[in-house]
Amino acid sequence: MSIDYAGFRRELESFARSACPPEIRAVVAAGQKITKREYQAWQQILNAQGWGAPSWPREAGGTGWDIRQRLIFEEVMAENDCPPLYHHGLGHIGPVIIRFGTPDQKARFLPRILDGSDWWCQGYSEPGSGSDLASLSTSARLEGGAWVVNGQKIWTSHAHEASMIYMLVRTSKEAKKQEGISLLLVPMDTPGITVRPIKTIDGWHHLNEVFFDDVRVRADNLIGEVGKGWTCAKFLLERERLPPANVARLELMRRQVTQLVEEAAQAAAGQRDFGGLHHKLLLCEADVKGARVMMAQATDDLIHQRPLGVQPSAIKMTCADVAQRLTTIALDAVGPDAAHRFLADAGEDVPDATWIQNYMFTRARTIAGGTSEVQRNVVANELLGA
Amino acid sequence: MSASFPSLFPGMLLDAAGRYAEDHVAQEIQGDPVRELGWTATLVPEEAGGAGGTLSDLASIVEGLATHGLQLPVVETCAVVPLLLQAAGAETAHRWLEAVAEGSARIAPMTALSATPEHLAVAARHLDIGYELSGVVQGVDLTLPATHYLVPVQMDGDDAIFLVDAERVGAPKARYRTMEGRLGADFTLERLAVPESACIARGAAVREARAKATDAALLLTAADTVAALATLIRQTVIHLKERRQFGVALSSFQVLRHRVADMYVKYLGAKGLVIHCFHEYEQNAADLRRTLRLAKVSLAESARACAESAIQMHGGMGVSEEVLATRTAQRLIASEFRYGDRLMHVARLLAQPQSDERVSLSNQTGSVR
Repeated sequence: MSIDYAGFRRELESFARSACPPEIRAVVAAGQKITKREYQAWQQILNAQGWGAPSWPREAGGTGWDIRQRLIFEEVMAENDCPPLYHHGLGHIGPVIIRFGTPDQKARFLPRILDGSDWWCQGYSEPGSGSDLASLSTSARLEGGAWVVNGQKIWTSHAHEASMIYMLVRTSKEAKKQEGISLLLVPMDTPGITVRPIKTIDGWHHLNEVFFDDVRVRADNLIGEVGKGWTCAKFLLERERLPPANVARLELMRRQVTQLVEEAAQAAAGQRDFGGLHHKLLLCEADVKGARVMMAQATDDLIHQRPLGVQPSAIKMTCADVAQRLTTIALDAVGPDAAHRFLADAGEDVPDATWIQNYMFTRARTIAGGTSEVQRNVVANELLGA
Repeated sequence: MSASFPSLFPGMLLDAAGRYAEDHVAQEIQGDPVRELGWTATLVPEEAGGAGGTLSDLASIVEGLATHGLQLPVVETCAVVPLLLQAAGAETAHRWLEAVAEGSARIAPMTALSATPEHLAVAARHLDIGYELSGVVQGVDLTLPATHYLVPVQMDGDDAIFLVDAERVGAPKARYRTMEGRLGADFTLERLAVPESACIARGAAVREARAKATDAALLLTAADTVAALATLIRQTVIHLKERRQFGVALSSFQVLRHRVADMYVKYLGAKGLVIHCFHEYEQNAADLRRTLRLAKVSLAESARACAESAIQMHGGMGVSEEVLATRTAQRLIASEFRYGDRLMHVARLLAQPQSDERVSLSNQTGSVR
C-alpha cells in the first residue's frame, strides 16, 4: 500500500496547530529553554493521539512510521513551534530496552515512557570520566538479591526533574575497562541518591551532580548481560548522535535567527553593519540543507540495518557546528541591547537575552554526547586506521 | 577507503569517463576527446541524433573526469552549447544540434568562464544587410578547437543568440593557461560584421535557454567540486599514511588526523547539498536558482578550506603541480570562480527576499540516481 505523504503532512499540520497549547508554542517560538512542564504536557497529547513514539516499532507501542513519515513529523512539529520529543526516554533508553530488555522490563518501563509518567535522565559521565567514558568507577555489587550502587555522576541533564536514571556502573574490576560495565535502571527516589544542581554559563538550570551512597536497586533492573553494558552504551550513543529531530530544529533556529538579524538591522538603522551576519546566515542555510540529506541517508541506513560508519559522528559535528554558528550570529545581533540584561531579577526570560543564553547553552553542543574532538577521532580512525 | 567515497552518479558513463581520465591525465590533450568520445551528444534529443540523456548522465562524465583530475570543457561544450541552441527555431535548432551530436560542428560558447550564460558582454546592431557585433569577452574556454562560437548578445533592448564562424571572429586578443590548466582567451569584437543568418534566436526563448544553461552549468560545476573534494581527501589520506617523518607515519599525528576528519565532514555536507540541488532540479522546484546560489557560496567556502588544508598537509609536495592533490586543489579554487563567484551570488541572494519554500522529502537517499 502506498502512503499519501502529502495527506500525512496535512494531517500532522492540522494536528500541530490545533492540539499544541499556545503557551507551549510560545516558549518554543521564543527559543526559551524547554522544561519538563512543556515536554510532558506535549508527550501526553501526542500519546493520546497514538503518536507517542514516532521512531519505535508498532509492537513496542510506536507508530511504525517509515523514514519519510518520521522526517515529515519532525519538520512539521518544528515548523509549528511544537516542542521536540523528550530524547532520554524515547530516543535513548527506550530503544535500548526494546533491543536488549526482557519482556518484563519492556512491560514495566516502555508504557511509562510513552505516557510521560516516567522522566529519564542519563548517568554516564563521572568527575574523572568524561571523554574517556569507559574509565568510569561508580560501582554496583550484588548483595542480598539487590545491586548496591556507590559513586558519583556529573553533567546529568534533567536529574532534578527526572523520576528514573539509566546509568553505567562497574560490576567487575578484573576485566579490561570496557568489560565489567553494566547498564542499570534506577528510580531517582531510591534512598541514598542526592542531586546537586550545577550552575551553568547559560543561566538556566539543567545540569546536576548525582551522588549514590549505598543505593539499593532491584536485581532485575539490569539491562542485558552483567558486564556487557558497554554494548548497550554504544548502541545508545550511536542513536544519541543521530536524532532526526536535530536537523529540523536547526532549520527552525535558522529561521528564528534570520528574523532576529533582520529586526536588529532595522533597529540599528545603518549605525551597525550586518553584511557579515547575512553572509554567515546564508552559509548556515546551505549547511542545514546538506545536513538534511546526510540525516536522511543515515536514517535510511539505520532502518535497512546497513552499517552507519562515521555518519552519526559527522552529523553530530555538523549540527553542533551550525547551532553554534547560528547562536553566535544571534549574539552579535542582539549583544549591545541584551548582554547587560542577561538575567532579569524577576526570573523571567528577557526576550532578546534568551539568545545570549542560547549562545552560552550551545557551547555544550560540541562537548556533550562525545566532544567534537572525540568525533574527529572516530572519523579519522575510519579514514586513516586507528 | 572507497566505501568512504561512494560515487554520486554511478554507472557506465562514470566508469568510461573515469577510465579515459585515468589513462590520459598525464598527457597533453590531443585532438578533441570530448567529441571523439561522443559526449557532446549526451543532452541532444534523440530525434536530433543525440543520446537524449539527462543532466545526471552528464554529471557522471563530469564526476569521472574530476575524480582523476582531467580537465576538459565538458560543461561548456556538452551542456551550455546544446541548451543555448534550443532557443533557436525548430529547424535551425535541429540542424545544429545534429551537428553537435555527431561532432561535425565544434561549437564553443563565447561567454566568460567566470560569468553565467545570462551575463551579456556583447551588443549587436542591425545593419541594412546583416549585423555587427561589439564587445569584450574575457576568459573564454579555448581548450578544444572551435569551428563556431555561440554568442549571447543584447540587441536593441532584446536578447538574441548568434552563431558565428570561428574564422570570421579571428584570433583572440590574448591567450592564457587558466589556473587549473585549461586554455583561456580574451576576445575583443569591434564592429564585427556577421550575416543575417548568424542570428539564430531572439526574445523569450533566448532568456529561457540562458536560464537553463546557467542552472545546468551551476549544477555540473557543483558535481565537479564534490568529486574533486573526494579525490583531494583520498589523496591526502594516502599521503598521510605513506609519508614518514620523525620515524613515524604522518597519520599518527592527531592534529593532522583531526584536520582530515574536518575535511571529510565538510565533504559529506557538500555532497548532501549537491544531492539536494539535483533533486530540486529534477522536481522543477521554484527555488532552484536560490538553492544553486546557496550551494555555490557554501561549496566555495568548503572547497577553499579543504584545498588549503590539503596543500599544507602535503608539505613541500603540496606546492608541486606534479601531485594530483595539488592539481585538484587548483581545480577546486578555479571552480569557485566559474559561473559567478561567491560574492556575486551572495549579492543576488541578499537582493531577493527568501520565499517560504518547503522542500520535498522524496528520495533523498543514496546516489543521485
